[in-house]
Amino acid sequence: MSLCMSRLQEERKAWRKDHPFGFVAKPMKNSQGALDLKRWECMIPGRDKTIWEGALLKLEVQFPDEYPTKPPKCKFTPPLFHPNVYPSGTVCLSILNEEEAWKPAITIKQILLGIQMLLDEVNPESPAQAEAYNLFKKDRVAYEKQVRKIVKDNQAP
Amino acid sequence: MSNQPSPSPGNQEEAPPQSEHLNIKVTDNNNEVFFKIKRTTQLKKLMDAFCDRQGKQFHSVRFLFDGTRVNPTDNPEMLDMQDGDTLEVHQEQIGGC
Repeated sequence: MSLCMSRLQEERKAWRKDHPFGFVAKPMKNSQGALDLKRWECMIPGRDKTIWEGALLKLEVQFPDEYPTKPPKCKFTPPLFHPNVYPSGTVCLSILNEEEAWKPAITIKQILLGIQMLLDEVNPESPAQAEAYNLFKKDRVAYEKQVRKIVKDNQAP
Repeated sequence: MSNQPSPSPGNQEEAPPQSEHLNIKVTDNNNEVFFKIKRTTQLKKLMDAFCDRQGKQFHSVRFLFDGTRVNPTDNPEMLDMQDGDTLEVHQEQIGGC
């Protein structure tokens, strides 16, 4: 079995055994109903005591054949209003960047917790979308109002 | 689990070892309770027991498995649960204001 697949099986096993409360991470099913370990559907809850509290955000994680040498691609579906998320929904985060801080030892748990923290820890030095970035810079009240609207529209099931 | 001889590194990660009983962890993020339940027993039994033990009203909470709401009439087999899986207990809420 390829390194990619054996690692993904290990990740799934570890996740089922123990994962942070409120998070979801599970392989998707393909059109034949079989599990596709290279595509995961995940849910990230907003952190308590932040403006994202109460939200549950859907994220698709895609693993390349070269995983874990290369990082997975994490994409909010639908795309998320956030300064460090590309208009496509792809998350821009150092630990997910091969040229930066990605390490093969980083687990799915660490990735999802990292993205949860990013929600409230915007890096205005590295914007990925104009809409959220501009509002964040120019009108923080309006930015937070928009986030609250997203939280209201994305409650847990 | 850890004291068992490690099972062959099977490639069917979702294929459960077919024992009759499963150990399921139920947690509300403060308390963890472990239950042993048959594959075909309705989860209502476990949900009631958790609420009883924690002094919670059944209708004040909801149970989630892999992010999906669990119905009291579901059983582990229907949900493809495996030994060691976790059921999360969240506060019930109603949207709108």
